[in-house]
Amino acid sequence: MSAVVAEFRRNRLSLSYVIVVALLILLVVAGGFLSDRFLTWRNFGNLFQQLVVLGMVSLGQTFVVLLGGIDLAVGSLVSASTVFIAHFLEWRPDLLWLALPLALIAATTIGALNGLLTIVLRVHPLIVTLGMSSIIFGGTLMYNKEPGGSVPRGLADFSYAKLWGIPVTAIVLVAIFALAGLWLQRSRSGRSIYFVGGDREAARLNGLPVSRIVVMAYALSGLCAGLAAIFLTARTGVGDPRIGTALTLQSITPVVVGGTVLAGGRGGVLGTLLGVLLVTMLNNLLNFLNVSSYYQWVIQGLIIIIAVSIHATKRRQ
Amino acid sequence: MVTPVIELSRIEKEYPGVKPLDRVDFAVRSGEIHALLGENGAGKSTLIRVMGGAIRPNGGSMTYLGKPVSWQSPKQARAAGIHVIHQELALFPELSVAENILVDAQPRNGLGLISGRARHARAAEILSQLGVKISTHAKIDELPLADQQMVEIAKALVGEVRLLVLDEPTAVISGHEVDLLFDNMRRLKREGVGIVYVSHRLEEIFEIADRVTILKDGQVAGNGPVGDLTRDEMITKMVGRRLEQIYPPRRKAPASGPDILKVSNLRAGYRVRDVSLSVRPGEVVGIAGMVGSGRTEVAEVIFGKRDLDGGTIEFEGRPFDRRMPREAIRNGLGFLTENRKDEGLFLGLPISANVMAPDLAGVTRRGLIDRRGEREIALEQIRNFAVAAPSPEVKVGNLSGGNQQKVLFGRWSRIARKLLILDEPTRGVDIGAKVEIYRIVRNLAEQGVGILMISSELPEIIGLSDRIFVMSQGHVAGEIDGASATEEAIIDLAVRSVDRRESKAARLEQVA
Ligand SMILES: Nc1ncnc2c1ncn2[C@@H]1O[C@H](COP(=O)(O)OP(=O)(O)OP(=O)(O)O)[C@@H](O)[C@H]1O
Ligand SMILES: [Mg+2]
Repeated sequence: MSAVVAEFRRNRLSLSYVIVVALLILLVVAGGFLSDRFLTWRNFGNLFQQLVVLGMVSLGQTFVVLLGGIDLAVGSLVSASTVFIAHFLEWRPDLLWLALPLALIAATTIGALNGLLTIVLRVHPLIVTLGMSSIIFGGTLMYNKEPGGSVPRGLADFSYAKLWGIPVTAIVLVAIFALAGLWLQRSRSGRSIYFVGGDREAARLNGLPVSRIVVMAYALSGLCAGLAAIFLTARTGVGDPRIGTALTLQSITPVVVGGTVLAGGRGGVLGTLLGVLLVTMLNNLLNFLNVSSYYQWVIQGLIIIIAVSIHATKRRQ
Repeated sequence: MVTPVIELSRIEKEYPGVKPLDRVDFAVRSGEIHALLGENGAGKSTLIRVMGGAIRPNGGSMTYLGKPVSWQSPKQARAAGIHVIHQELALFPELSVAENILVDAQPRNGLGLISGRARHARAAEILSQLGVKISTHAKIDELPLADQQMVEIAKALVGEVRLLVLDEPTAVISGHEVDLLFDNMRRLKREGVGIVYVSHRLEEIFEIADRVTILKDGQVAGNGPVGDLTRDEMITKMVGRRLEQIYPPRRKAPASGPDILKVSNLRAGYRVRDVSLSVRPGEVVGIAGMVGSGRTEVAEVIFGKRDLDGGTIEFEGRPFDRRMPREAIRNGLGFLTENRKDEGLFLGLPISANVMAPDLAGVTRRGLIDRRGEREIALEQIRNFAVAAPSPEVKVGNLSGGNQQKVLFGRWSRIARKLLILDEPTRGVDIGAKVEIYRIVRNLAEQGVGILMISSELPEIIGLSDRIFVMSQGHVAGEIDGASATEEAIIDLAVRSVDRRESKAARLEQVA
């Protein structure tokens, strides 16, 4: 946690954080007025539960965006991983200890492959990951068209476990974010992401192992997608080849709302965490108000455009 | 009294922690060349941005051609006849020379479409008016920096100009190009254009300017006709103290010991044809030559930024084959590139990160970067090089040009334990800091570091080098001892061998 606080103090974007926090407070207050079930422990428990998957994927996306790239394969990768996990566990529920690491390794490898392809082929990451996304999606559907598989009780229980009323998965998520913040700010490899994202040629001339860093960032995004898939499978109990589709674009919203610049080199994970909170809370409130999901899409679109333009004007000043 | 083209009065500008302009009065008459002098960070570029509408002042007023104005955008100022050539080039690297020159005034044909042929014809006309030979079809990022600067200057000749503002245009050009620029400035002056001129080379001020305004810490420290001030008085007003000795004493005995760097018959691309040179530990070796003679490319090959086509490079007696910057840095090399903005600095990151970039390992304790250690090193380098910045957390992109250069120096002087390659090290640096940089370069040499310095400023090459290699058209035209070198001898080598080769080519043509 101290790492997150340190980042807050040091990061030049702290003003943008203030804006997001103000929006969050506004939302909580408005929510309290509009619905009497919104400001309850129960609802916050649910909310934290909902936030885990988006949080994980957005974290991975943050690394890649900081690097100046983008990962459009995360959604398909999450879907594919849930399918893998659920079917593997249906086959051998006793091999949980093997299934989860295997899923993570596979997801990380596919992420690394994305990074490697952007370097070797010198193709824009938008294209590489878009292509990869399509390949994974198609591949998964070839194997399995409908949701299926199952998970053992233990894993399902874990996804609903609570500590002092807070879902354990949410605690794990925050811990992972804190670690990621520490890593980005205080480790050589983490800091290097900012260098490569800030200016790739300059990074090369400063002797940084640019290719290695690029591959690492995409690999981490893959790893995060794998972790998100574990949470998701645990909660839904099935592997669904379409479940992650919307996540690709959804994962970008919290990143840019949190002030990370699409061009790379500026931003951080604290902003993303706040962004995830904002998006999730908004959707949660809209659900309470029985706003149709069509409007929710529209509102999310508005948020992303407004947030980015606020950050941009702040920077121009 | 002639009415001024532009008159600024009590202009103020403030950023968090700095006040680059503090009640500045400044006026330019028509038909005058007005020099703006001051240390790095004195506020020159900021004042220029105010005149050109790039930023809005926090206070004060401005009259232009007798009317009060307050620009809302650069475009508005441009339309009113103010053309600014900013310190950092504003060209589109992927577009052609012609497209860049006519960026605001693309010629159209009868259908209202942009006409490629008319564009190239018009661009070529402007370039020939300027007196330079650059292909209008060339892409900007294929051109040497000096040519890019000339393209930037050509842009100023396109429309009608009443006030021309040049922010350190000669930082990246030299010799012949400077003469061309000055000829054109004099012509515009005769046509009644008011010109603002910024440069850290004082000789140029005496050559071209009529009047001068000196800024110090955002305030006007003096102004008047150029003839009223001596060089020393100008320096004293700028720096706030007298400068006694510019160049530190050269080494007494010639450097001995084995070469730290030995380059033999190097070939790379079409600019490096046959280069052999060497550097011994503790020695400052200068590379002189005209822009485009292949000096920068030689440095890039040594550092591993550019591939070589032939020849050998030996470092400490061993062949140096793992050709990448990473390996060079690991071996104790440093390379301060000539183009700080595109090749070296992370403009969006703070000073501390920029200083430490090649040496993160040096501040890592038990796997974590030691923030305090990092900050201390950055502070030390800020002090060593007198960087004008309130703290090491300031983004490098917010520093003045000269101060960015000092940050680069702070970075590489720490890292280069064995050999430091400097490409135009004092570009855009003020006179006080130059003296400081020369002292530090000499100090490094005394500690045993070999220095390879490329520079277009001959006084600097002569004043600092122990040995000088003169390059011409991709060849080493000769080697001169630093202590006895003269500008004439260097120019002679740089030019004469060109003539010889050209006349040889001419003879061959005649035979054919
Ligand atoms: N956008 C900005 N944000 C914060 N500080 C700034 C910004 N722009 C300029 N400054 C500060 O204002 C001061 C004046 O800068 P300016 O670029 O005008 O100097 P200069 O006289 O042109 O110097 P140089 O000779 O190095 O080009 C510097 O201390 C600089 O760091
Ligand atoms: Mg300047």
